[in-house]
Amino acid sequence: MQEKLPEWLKHSEDYTPVKTGGAFIEKSIASIGGVMTKIKLQNGHEKGRSLPALLKLFLAFGLIAFLSLTHEKMWILGVVSVIQLYLCMWPARDIATILKASLWATLLAFLLFLPAMIMNPSGISNDLQVILKVFTSLEIVSIFNHTTQWNHITGALRKLHIPGVFIFTLDITVKYIILLGNLIVDLLTAMRLRAVGKNRKEYQSIGGVMGVTFIRSTEMSREMYDAMRCRGFTDDYKGL
Amino acid sequence: MHIPENYLSPVTCGVMGAAMLPVWTHSIKKVAKEMPKEKMPLLGVGAAFSFLSMMFNVPLIGGTTGHAVGGTLIALLFGPEASCIAVSIALLIQAVLFGDGGILALGANCFNMAFVLPFVGFYMYKLLMKLMGANSQEKSSAHYISAAIASYMGINVAALCASIEFGLQPMLFKDAAGNALYCPYDLSISIPGMMIPHLFVAGLVEAAFTVAVFAFVRKTSPDLIFENWTTDSVVDKPKRHFPVYALLAALIAACPLGLLATGMANGWSLDVLIPDYAVSGIGEVAGYIISAILGVAILVIVFKLASLPMKRKAD
Amino acid sequence: MNCISLEQITFRYEPEEPAVFKDYDFQVEEGECLILRGDNGAGKTTLFKILNALVFPEKGSYQFFGTEITRSYMAKNQNSKSFHKRVGYLFQNADVMLFNAKVYDEIAFGPRQMGLSEEEVQIRVEDCMELLDISNLRDKAPYHLSGGQKKRVAIAAILALNPEVFIMDEPLNGLDQKTHERMVNLIRDLKAAGKTLVIATHDDEFAQDIGDRQVNLSFT
Repeated sequence: MQEKLPEWLKHSEDYTPVKTGGAFIEKSIASIGGVMTKIKLQNGHEKGRSLPALLKLFLAFGLIAFLSLTHEKMWILGVVSVIQLYLCMWPARDIATILKASLWATLLAFLLFLPAMIMNPSGISNDLQVILKVFTSLEIVSIFNHTTQWNHITGALRKLHIPGVFIFTLDITVKYIILLGNLIVDLLTAMRLRAVGKNRKEYQSIGGVMGVTFIRSTEMSREMYDAMRCRGFTDDYKGL
Repeated sequence: MHIPENYLSPVTCGVMGAAMLPVWTHSIKKVAKEMPKEKMPLLGVGAAFSFLSMMFNVPLIGGTTGHAVGGTLIALLFGPEASCIAVSIALLIQAVLFGDGGILALGANCFNMAFVLPFVGFYMYKLLMKLMGANSQEKSSAHYISAAIASYMGINVAALCASIEFGLQPMLFKDAAGNALYCPYDLSISIPGMMIPHLFVAGLVEAAFTVAVFAFVRKTSPDLIFENWTTDSVVDKPKRHFPVYALLAALIAACPLGLLATGMANGWSLDVLIPDYAVSGIGEVAGYIISAILGVAILVIVFKLASLPMKRKAD
Repeated sequence: MNCISLEQITFRYEPEEPAVFKDYDFQVEEGECLILRGDNGAGKTTLFKILNALVFPEKGSYQFFGTEITRSYMAKNQNSKSFHKRVGYLFQNADVMLFNAKVYDEIAFGPRQMGLSEEEVQIRVEDCMELLDISNLRDKAPYHLSGGQKKRVAIAAILALNPEVFIMDEPLNGLDQKTHERMVNLIRDLKAAGKTLVIATHDDEFAQDIGDRQVNLSFT
């Protein structure tokens, strides 16, 4: 009953791959992997032992709104310096994390505004003000989620009497970003190991990865619903 | 297409957020009524799927890659209302957890990517399928062509909305000297600036991504696609009027509100900073204190960062 | 000749975490069948990731047929492709290896990448399907198959690349009696054909029967 190995499989073969192709696999693994590390590790500075999440949420949102509303130099610089003062007390590695994200977006904003500043020099101070606000707002957001665990954020939202079904959905979303993200990274890794040359149908492969992910995600959500039912859930999403 | 913080005036952000309220309410009601109960957790799963789609790198010409938004795809898979909620949640998490897109600008981002994009894409797809005639339902190619055109249209209309939001800023929000307070480009620049890359690059990426995934799911698990969920008429009675009216109402509301705000902005702008450092309006003492704090803080940060590579070596 | 040689490697996933491997040595000779044992969490999968150059040790060296495999070596598109062509990796969870709409396309993915003509591709795919007794599944969606069928499709997909080294994580798990036997014979044939095999398994009988050498991964 045993089939014998075909001849081609019995010998090693010389193979020289083409040079191009497959960049999207690497990049997708990197960007999705990065996102998941960020959600999963939660090893940020001061996590868990700082201010209550609800307070931080209000503080961050308030500062961002205030920055956006005010055009007074003193107030803007005041907020900017308070943030930097707080940040400078952090360990270097955490500072680097915060600044890396904020500075990229600031650079992008600068490049975007550059033509405007050249065309209309009298607007430069306003343009720089916007760029400074972009930078600081991002710092605030980064500091907030660097010091706050996701479940504390949803906990804070719960205290605000935001409907349970909304928070329930937020929680599943984050959970599934990790589950599905792992699946995508695994699929892409498996694909990378076999992508030893030129893919004639790259888009079909992408359709495969995201298609399998979608199919699996509907199965998972089905299983989750069944599990909820098994634990006494009676379709009452309001009571969650 | 994620609009960052401070590119739009807070007033615009408020108006866009207000415009989203009826859309969200409608979507939630519709989903609660028509979505099978066992599919409810699918909203969160759909949001996760949407979030990850936006992170996925899609190959472009010559080894470069780009990102798709996937709004039309989500709408085709989950239905337009569910996808509105799912994409909104994905955008919220991106804004809060990753600083991708502003928190105040969330309303505007949701308007473009969670409302305009999936609804235009979805109904465009329906329309095209209808135009292709009764027997087109059987042909896979008809579905794929419709999905391609619909998603291309969806993302371009969404980009157009974003470019108008940008372009209105310098017209509505200026300081006393007539300089823009937020996005400095008016419609004549913002529209081509946004549309050219979307018409020629991002739109094609979106269409290719949408068709690739849609085709795979149609081939392997057709029953999971929104169109095929239930036999009774979830899709057949298009309640299209509502979103269109909401859109119109929002836009109409936006104009006077925006104009009103211009006056306010002008009022505030009396004490807007001037490039000169001997700042009028700021007390000199306060100015010194702020400069000192800022200077010290930045120096400490720079020194700490400079020590990072050395520390690594020591490890 | 050593086909795989890890010398004094140290590996950890995150800078602050404890090392999974510390100053660890690991050699596989060409044509050898090496059985890897170890409890759950002993680091089998991590070792496989290192061998497949998916992650890189922070210290020590990894030689593959005398070539040093480093992050910068693998960063060159051509190098990484020819490396992956020579090493076939069966994931413990075969599910994640399947991303095509049809079994046929799944197996054809590798050979098509190699630039073979459609006729050559077809020969390879047919042979592989025959070998694993999955010819009847050719137009099915891999995603909807049973666990054992998925595993066979995944192995066929690797065989089609004709690698020199096979790294298999639990190839016999979840197979029925008949398929199990077939798989053992296949592995024996691969060994007879001079392929190098590194196999993680909990199956004692199989390990005794086919392994040239056993390595136990149980250290801290």
